[in-house]
Amino acid sequence: MFKKSHPLQSKSEIILRDIVVVAMVLFFSVFLIIPIGIAFAGSFHEWNPLSGTYRFLGLENYKEVIVNPLFWKSLWNTIIFSVVVIIFRVGLGLAIAYAIYSALIKYKSFFRSVFYMPVVTPMVAVAFVWKFMYNPQIGTINQMFGLDVNWLMNPKTALAAVIVMTIWKDFGYAVVMYMAGLYSLPADALEAAKVDGANAWQNFRYITLPLLKSMTLFVVITSIISYIQAYVQILIMTEGGPGTATYLSSYIIYDEAFVKYNFGYASALSFVLFIITAIFTWLSFRVSGNEE
Amino acid sequence: MSAGCRKGMVINMRRKIFGIVLNVILVVLGLVTVYPFIWMLFSSFKENKEIMALEQHLLPSAFTVDNYINMNARFNFMRFFANSLLVTIVVTLAVVYTSTLCGFVLSKYKFKGRNILFGFVLSTMMIPWCVTIIPKYSMIQSFGWLDSYKALIIPAMFSGFGIFNMKQHIATLPDEILEAARIDGANEFFIFHRIIFPMAKNGISSIAIFQFLWTWEDYLWPYLVINTKEKQLLAVGLKMFSGQYSTDYGALFAATAISIIPVLLIYIIFQKQFIAGVASAAVKG
Repeated sequence: MFKKSHPLQSKSEIILRDIVVVAMVLFFSVFLIIPIGIAFAGSFHEWNPLSGTYRFLGLENYKEVIVNPLFWKSLWNTIIFSVVVIIFRVGLGLAIAYAIYSALIKYKSFFRSVFYMPVVTPMVAVAFVWKFMYNPQIGTINQMFGLDVNWLMNPKTALAAVIVMTIWKDFGYAVVMYMAGLYSLPADALEAAKVDGANAWQNFRYITLPLLKSMTLFVVITSIISYIQAYVQILIMTEGGPGTATYLSSYIIYDEAFVKYNFGYASALSFVLFIITAIFTWLSFRVSGNEE
Repeated sequence: MSAGCRKGMVINMRRKIFGIVLNVILVVLGLVTVYPFIWMLFSSFKENKEIMALEQHLLPSAFTVDNYINMNARFNFMRFFANSLLVTIVVTLAVVYTSTLCGFVLSKYKFKGRNILFGFVLSTMMIPWCVTIIPKYSMIQSFGWLDSYKALIIPAMFSGFGIFNMKQHIATLPDEILEAARIDGANEFFIFHRIIFPMAKNGISSIAIFQFLWTWEDYLWPYLVINTKEKQLLAVGLKMFSGQYSTDYGALFAATAISIIPVLLIYIIFQKQFIAGVASAAVKG
């Protein structure tokens, strides 16, 4: 009978479907598509809401992005920041997840919950906590290690300090993801390898790791997207300083848009950053050989 | 004793030692993970002179709640807390409802353009905040919504992330239950509210806690659209507070603790469903 496709749609189904489709299309048009269009148009204009300027400039804003040394510096900082954080996030996440997954650990869900804690805490607040921890006067880090370093004010250590904080906040996400990946692995593949006499390392390297490839790709891509947009820790901890040592690209956009009110220039920067995000995402798909 | 047996014992010993080492490593890493929270919490009960002292201890030597009282008296901090709680709960409820509804329609109904619509929802997650925030701000201004909670709630009512996750989650629920309800004469509104909603509990709790966290921690949007200090939310309040009382560390610790604790509590209560929900979406996704 109508088992598979149930072609006779009920009236309530049609009504519900129409409401949902219309609401979604309307919402995302108003708050996403139209804003993207306005931003794109705005990126070709000198656009300052304070002085009420909106004057066509052509490609001038984009040219200025390319010749702005601070943009390149921030892009370089963003790349260092993202690459280091992602390496640690994936590495620590995988290692810890694999350790918890192994038969040697008893309190699995306890450990998992502990490592996930920083992920669910508000960034503004934990950025403050870490700012205080790095503080040379009241901070616990210098106290603990008997050091005398002004972590966030020293151009050599500031970016690293922000990176460490971000790794602390985010590695738990990878732990939970990899644990989910590990528990969904086909048991027979692992069993077969054991029967064939594979040792623990071979088992991990040639069976488990390849099976976790799509999870790694997922973690890497969501990380790229979120780290290219990261700015809150910078806003709270360093405001881009000392000098330009911790300027990240998103922080420049924040600064241009809502401190200097150069809306046009900030829009141009946003599109450049968006394209960069897309390129890196595409690259990680290519590197992993996953074409879905 | 045969050689094989001895070898077995050696392997067993090594396994045991390795197990202990691994446990110790995880406990140390766990301590590193929770240490900042503990340090913050204990510091919030210390007097300022103890916080600034050269010699420091983790536990407060003179326990005081003055920091919490000061923070509220000087800055009316609990007002921000209440504002944040209100906005966050409204947005979270709205997003849970719309995500579940859209997820249901996108996963269980077959119609023309469904995949295009879903692809579109997926692509919304790729758009960085910085691309849309300037025009959104101008739009809200022209709607006359500045300085009202409409500006915080309405543009946040649908979430690409939420819809995507709920679609993945509801797709795993068996069609037979829906068919059975339909044969019994249930309409789709009943099926959604009484069958799908309760069955999607894990998915719901995972997007609920994420949405709660994101709205709770959002800084830039409330900073832009809310001008009256009394209406401001917690994250912005915290930054304002630190700007005005940058050396009253005790009060700052107390304010920070107040901003972190509610989210942690919700997490600790719902962690089971939450982690199950987060993980299942990713495995299928």
